[in-house]
Amino acid sequence: MTRTHHPSKLGLLALSVTLVVSSSLAWAMGSRVPTVGTAAEDFRLVDLEGKQQSLSQYRGKVVLVNFWATWCKPCTTEMPAMQATYDKLREKGFVVLAVNELEDEAKVRGHIKQHGHTFPVLMDRDNKVANQFGVFGLPVSVFIDEKGVVQEYIKGGLLTEQVILDAVARIQKPEAMKAASLH
Amino acid sequence: MTVKRSLFSLLLGLSFFSLVWPVDKRAEAACGSVTCFVVIGSQQQVPQAGLLTFNTTYNYTPMRLLDGTNGVIPAVDQANRRLILDHHQEVRNITQAVNFDLNYGITDRLGVQVSIPYLWRTHKHIDGLGEEGVNGAGELVPFRDNGIGDMIITAKYNVLPTLRSMIVAGFGVQVPTGSTSALDDAGALMESPTQLGRGNVGLIGSVYQTYELIPHRLNQFFYGSYRHTFRNNDGYQFGDEYNLNLGASGIPLERAPWLVLTGQFHWRYLVHDNISASLERSATPADAPDFPGETIVLDPAITNRLVPTTGSTYFAFSPGFQVSLDGLIDSPLTKWTSVYFHSQIPIMRDSNNNLAQGISYIFGITRSFQLAKSGS
Repeated sequence: MTRTHHPSKLGLLALSVTLVVSSSLAWAMGSRVPTVGTAAEDFRLVDLEGKQQSLSQYRGKVVLVNFWATWCKPCTTEMPAMQATYDKLREKGFVVLAVNELEDEAKVRGHIKQHGHTFPVLMDRDNKVANQFGVFGLPVSVFIDEKGVVQEYIKGGLLTEQVILDAVARIQKPEAMKAASLH
Repeated sequence: MTVKRSLFSLLLGLSFFSLVWPVDKRAEAACGSVTCFVVIGSQQQVPQAGLLTFNTTYNYTPMRLLDGTNGVIPAVDQANRRLILDHHQEVRNITQAVNFDLNYGITDRLGVQVSIPYLWRTHKHIDGLGEEGVNGAGELVPFRDNGIGDMIITAKYNVLPTLRSMIVAGFGVQVPTGSTSALDDAGALMESPTQLGRGNVGLIGSVYQTYELIPHRLNQFFYGSYRHTFRNNDGYQFGDEYNLNLGASGIPLERAPWLVLTGQFHWRYLVHDNISASLERSATPADAPDFPGETIVLDPAITNRLVPTTGSTYFAFSPGFQVSLDGLIDSPLTKWTSVYFHSQIPIMRDSNNNLAQGISYIFGITRSFQLAKSGS
């Protein structure tokens, strides 16, 4: 009246295999947040105009790389602040790169047009750049200085116009001081 | 691509594994109780740092005899350390559970989950076959109890955090907070499997994996868990439990992103329970003139024995839906709040003359609270 087979070993094996494969995947794909103070890895993405854009082409400027999607409410909430600071500081060495994650181009284009955003919008179609920057929740904003070094990494919809202005000022300040000391 | 292919192969292998798992037709199912389990998502994931997700689920799980079965099973008398063959006849069991589930992100990758179940259980069986009642027909003994079940505290780590994928490894400890001393209506200690608690610590290993097949539209998920419970002070040890869930959830209408439909297959395997007891059997007409009469001792030695009416295999499909109130009603009351409903429909049940889990229902509500700002 009792069972003759004991599949518990097979079950354990299945779970062990799952754990091992999970760990391997994590090793292979696991995203690591770039540490503040380290150089941001370069990337190349196509923008909504069909032009190739790279992070390195903005060397010498303070870059705000913002990862977003149209369905993400906190993302779209902070975009007007990004636009306002972009308008104010674009002539003063500041650029915004809005990296859209995994969405249909027409949908993104419609959203950008509707809200009148003018900063470059890049399409991260295969999620590669998000993985490169350790993004697994939206939005994420990364401030990169003129030398391509990560200065701030902000998770969640925390950007306001003042937050961006302050961050840019903090990043540009040492350069300004350095320049002033040379004169 | 290689990684994706590996992941796909693993899932395919595991789902195939679950479908071809050998089912021993001689095995007998539990004289006891089970609760319905479905993957909710917000319960299995690691929330972002500082986010507390609160899930409350109501779960209705009936168990009845299948057609063509009579429900005659052995009795577990853990108070006197006796296992008596053919001494019970099962009638029905209904478990209702409200599960309070708190899930907190300590960091973006490390989380802790506390599950506190509150159970209502009614069980009806005929006790004393061959011993009591007219012609040894036994006596109908109802049982009902309610209270806190065994809490589970789980540490979880998100080993693969990306926008499209997540793999969460969990290690849980089941704390014996549930009662193991409830009496039936005849005043006898109720059998261990029907008690609200298991009486000792259990260890639970789990893996949860999810991948967005179509970003923000169609999501695939897998959940696997293994539970080992140690022998309790009544000499009773619950058998190991294996769970595998494979499913998908999706947003059917782009204009209504607040509605998510879910479908998942659930496979559960329970190993035989074990009791440290003597072995007896009920008297049968062949024992006349001592029928009806005292049970017949087969082996007086108190030793570890498999409980033949435990151990079962169960395979079910669970359709369900989730409504994000946040997306439907713009109000502070509905912020980060969702409600969901799932039913679990058995496809294959290894009941073996015992109670079998019928169609179960789960209703739940999820709400998240950002207790601490996500770090920068």
